[in-house]
Amino acid sequence: MAERSDPGTPATPIVDVVDERLGRQSWYQRLMVRPDSGALAGVVLVFLFFTFAAGDTGMFASDGILSWMTVTAQLMIIGSGAALLMIGGEFDLSVGSMIGFSGMMIAIPTIYFDVPIGVSVVLAFVVAMAIGALNGYIIVRTRLPSFIVTLASLYILRGLTIALSILFTNRTIVSGLKEYSDDSFVASLFSAKLFPGFFQWLADNGIILKLPNGAPAVPGIPMLIVWAFALAVVGHVVLTRTRIGNWIFASGGDANAARNVGVPVSAVKISLFMATAFCATVFAACQVFEFGSAAADRGLLKEFEAIIAAVIGGCLLTGGYGSVIGACLGALIFGVVQQGILFAGAPSDWFQVFLGAMLLIAVLFNSSIRRRVTGER
Amino acid sequence: MKTVLLRGVLMAAAMVVGVATTTSSALADNERFVFVSHAPDSDSWWNVIKNAIKNAEHDEGVKVEYRNPPTGDIADMARIIQQATASNPNGIVTTIADFDVLQSAIQGAVAKGIPVITVNSGTAEQSKELGAMMHIGQPEYDAGKGAGERAKAAGVTHFLCVNHYITNPASVQRCQGYADGLGVKLGDQMIDSGIDPTGIYNKVKAFIASHPDTDGIITLGPNSADPTIKYIGDSGSRSKFKSVISFDLDADISKAIKDGTMDAAIDQQPYLQGYLPIVFLTQYVRYGVMPSNNVNTGPGFVTKKNIELVEKLAGEYR
Amino acid sequence: MATAMQAVSPREEARPEGWGRPLIEVRELTKHFGPVVALAGVSLTVSAGEVHCLLGDNGAGKSTLIKTLSGVHKPTGGDFVVDGKPVTFSSPREALDAGIATVFQDLAMIPLLSITRNFFMGREPVKRVGPLSFMDMDFANKVARQEMRRIGIDVRDPEQAVGTLSGGERQCVAIARAVYFGAKVLILDEPTSALGVAQTSMVLKFIRQVRAKGLGVIFITHNVRHAYAVGDRFTILNRGRTLGTYAKTEIGLDELQTKMAGDKELQDLSEELGGTV
Repeated sequence: MAERSDPGTPATPIVDVVDERLGRQSWYQRLMVRPDSGALAGVVLVFLFFTFAAGDTGMFASDGILSWMTVTAQLMIIGSGAALLMIGGEFDLSVGSMIGFSGMMIAIPTIYFDVPIGVSVVLAFVVAMAIGALNGYIIVRTRLPSFIVTLASLYILRGLTIALSILFTNRTIVSGLKEYSDDSFVASLFSAKLFPGFFQWLADNGIILKLPNGAPAVPGIPMLIVWAFALAVVGHVVLTRTRIGNWIFASGGDANAARNVGVPVSAVKISLFMATAFCATVFAACQVFEFGSAAADRGLLKEFEAIIAAVIGGCLLTGGYGSVIGACLGALIFGVVQQGILFAGAPSDWFQVFLGAMLLIAVLFNSSIRRRVTGER
Repeated sequence: MKTVLLRGVLMAAAMVVGVATTTSSALADNERFVFVSHAPDSDSWWNVIKNAIKNAEHDEGVKVEYRNPPTGDIADMARIIQQATASNPNGIVTTIADFDVLQSAIQGAVAKGIPVITVNSGTAEQSKELGAMMHIGQPEYDAGKGAGERAKAAGVTHFLCVNHYITNPASVQRCQGYADGLGVKLGDQMIDSGIDPTGIYNKVKAFIASHPDTDGIITLGPNSADPTIKYIGDSGSRSKFKSVISFDLDADISKAIKDGTMDAAIDQQPYLQGYLPIVFLTQYVRYGVMPSNNVNTGPGFVTKKNIELVEKLAGEYR
Repeated sequence: MATAMQAVSPREEARPEGWGRPLIEVRELTKHFGPVVALAGVSLTVSAGEVHCLLGDNGAGKSTLIKTLSGVHKPTGGDFVVDGKPVTFSSPREALDAGIATVFQDLAMIPLLSITRNFFMGREPVKRVGPLSFMDMDFANKVARQEMRRIGIDVRDPEQAVGTLSGGERQCVAIARAVYFGAKVLILDEPTSALGVAQTSMVLKFIRQVRAKGLGVIFITHNVRHAYAVGDRFTILNRGRTLGTYAKTEIGLDELQTKMAGDKELQDLSEELGGTV
């Protein structure tokens, strides 16, 4: 517990000297009230653990790193959105369904209706964000818990995805997007691998593994990872450095108090739902263009993974507190553990046990942080 | 607070260390293979394959890691194959649940020089295109067609295909094959049943109620067959159907075949799909030998005639 | 209690321009909720540089009155004049823009947010970099620290959460925020009701500071002692009506207490209990 001034002492005169008590809060105390400190400790712990448990299995070779970074990046994309929304005091359980839906929105018009691929992608983003806005509007308007409203959209969207893809294509996996997306700028925006020359050079010089056919084991940095970092940086800057960020904190902390001082709470919440829909669509686009197909069951349960990343990253379920960086660290823990458990040769059945335990620890840690922050005991 | 947290972390860590060390000591200097399936955790049918893998592990003295995407998301399965490739196993066995999605991952493993055998879902042609050494499985469309031909012989005109994994294209091929074997259009005769037994039960009930001229049923596996069997028993409507066939076997299905609720089961002999690839890969790694043909493990039909044999082992090895 | 009272003893203060000018006038204000008459005719004038205490028991209409003044409710009848102009507010934001700031007891601050972020909530200072605009955190932190020091709160770090402040400090931050953003009239809803003695004295002292700047303060309380310590005039509400307005020079503490109790029976009860109510 940080020391606190005695409120009964008479007012100190207004003198502009450096407060001598300012230095007393040690770096340790400052670290302990940051929302993402728990996740940071978790990252260190997890890396230490797998260095011992799976250090010699190829987990930290170039293609091993790519393997867990890919999982991490995927989760960073939806985790950043989920964190912002959670800080704004709401949930979105429809993220997973939205991934399946947006994927179909990109694939079906392109393959079956000869819509140019760029138009399909833009259309997918517009429709997804409109659905996000609708989610937000219903929640703001009815004041129903977002848990219930987005649970409904989870089912509606998943059902729509299956029903519409059966209706238009008579199948639930729409393949063959590759012929339409090859050489298209939009496709490379989501699925290109950057710096292939550099990675070839690395392989030629024996820095990373070279495959028997001469190609490097890691052909480049996937756009998925670029998107993940870009979204994380934008999310972090918006949250901590803009007035919109302050509104997000305020809307989640106490919507009434925020409204009383003129924060446009409704607009903030609706925009946040649009942001999570945007993130889900980025996720979908990266997946669709990487695999060249869309499926109605894509993104199953991803909404929970996003929420888990945000919670491990220090977001409070009650809103008003958290960080995007924390959510990204949560995603990293998730990715490293999920793939690391496979590298360590443990049965993957244990992954969920481990995940659950970690979630519990994160929540305990978070509630202790909240007590520190607010000074309640 | 802190001590509680610390203890929690330590316990979790101890658990995983325990698991990791026990398994890694077992693989000491043996070959290590990774078996990747597309089945979600909840799919009980794969238990036979898991048992087959255990037997092969024991018989051949190798270590096999069974991996699956917990929710059945094929995109997650691609990640698992990529991970398996990065861990440099002696060989990879995988299903081709979705050719497009798994293509780059499987080709990546092949490019790294890891021997790959494909099993179960997928076709021999796809397997070849991916650069795998062989395919061990049952051609889905042909199996469905075989069932449809049996149903036609029994006089079926309108049918219900209970599909519990509609998002997998192989499932639709099974229904399509059945329809073609019967010589009718698939139309709306395939339902997306989901995997919840109560849900399946009620969807079948609703379909039969709204389509009273239905006289044939095809279920795509134990998940959809078991509730359907229960429905037929509960409603006493067996005489209404000229043919009831299921893909695959489990204890309930063999009992239903015995008591006449079900006419036949299409047996793809999954045990072989789990056992054979491990045997083949082991021999290949040790002695460089590999059969030059694909292996069709099915379709075989289990009927009242041969059920006795099968029944004893249903759900375990059959 | 006695020591707390001394801490807020009057001091000589310079009087800004416009002192004593009426800021808010309400005449015969009424408010009905369907058949329920919440305000049956309230008249009140608040001038610059005065602390006007609104006293009354529960159900007297205090909260309806302040919600009407702060733009949450629309009055059913009567006159509402701000700075000499009749007004009708349709939202708290409009009242705020007209210079009437209300500090509600519980809704003032968000505990998990930093002092700076709370202070500038809804009115963030913005700094432009090309087409992008960022919140000017350096400026915000500087102002927050400066304003906190002015109140006498020793803020180690303006980015620490408001939750680490005491209840009295939070009230003061909320008041300071309203003052900083140019409020002319402050409505304080029971600012001391949940506070201990020392913290109460801190808030009362700060109310005096605010008055010294020439703001009008409406101080709602049912604690007559707190009211008498800082109040210049006292308006007593009972059953939705004003019973009367008294200047501090006209009325003593005991008399005020008696008038607020209003009811003959309660007065007797109060005497029976030895004047401790």
